[in-house]
Amino acid sequence: MGLIARTIEQHGIATVALSIQRELTEKTRPPRALFVRWPYGHPLGEPFNVAQQRWVLCDALRALEELQTPGTIIDLPYRWRRPGPWTEKRA
Amino acid sequence: MDRHRLRNRFFAFFFSRFPSLTRRWVARQQLEDYGPPPWTPLAKPVSRCRVALVTTAGVHRRDDAPFDMADKDGDATYRVIPHDAAPETLCITHDYYDHRDADKDLNIVLPRDRLQELAQEHVIGEVAPFHYSFMGHIDGRHLPRLLADTAPAVARRLQREQVDAVVLTPA
Repeated sequence: MGLIARTIEQHGIATVALSIQRELTEKTRPPRALFVRWPYGHPLGEPFNVAQQRWVLCDALRALEELQTPGTIIDLPYRWRRPGPWTEKRA
Repeated sequence: MDRHRLRNRFFAFFFSRFPSLTRRWVARQQLEDYGPPPWTPLAKPVSRCRVALVTTAGVHRRDDAPFDMADKDGDATYRVIPHDAAPETLCITHDYYDHRDADKDLNIVLPRDRLQELAQEHVIGEVAPFHYSFMGHIDGRHLPRLLADTAPAVARRLQREQVDAVVLTPA
């Protein structure tokens, strides 16, 4: 996905990418990224958790305005609280 | 369902439970060095921007062709998602992650409703008429095709639709 972000940015459109695999984002180097420490398939968080989805989206939009250094990856502080089959700690 | 797809779904389940396995897999991948990130400054405040979403979660319209799950190198094509498409007209074809939660609420991979709310509250200028979706498993011979063909095609469509900013969501 980092590669798609780069291509769009090269076409003159500002991009911000959520990341759920920090190592892959470090390798593909999109212009702006926010890493969430959440299970795969959940970049915006839990289903029907409107507030949580909104925080992440607002953080991404803020990053679009504020980030000045290409390749920055912001680590979002949110923790995964919902118990479930994915609750292995991503330390 | 053929054995290939069953196998992929098994691995998707397994890797979803144990993300450290995926991290190890990613660490071993020899990706080309694509050089320093490109940079386009945001042209105006977000509150005046037209914003689109691009996802690699394998979302598509039910009446569109599904992504190719039989090719082990994946599928570099994209699908167009009208912003106003009813949720029940969309689905996910992607065997490489567990999308049961996203099937219930597409907003966790494609936050259309949240974007709409932010437009109504004037946090963003407006929502773009179309979003775009890829299937994130793209490897081998499909990677050059993504870079030379399908990703630039989406970028040109976003240009034509006068999009100012794009939020990308993985799966």
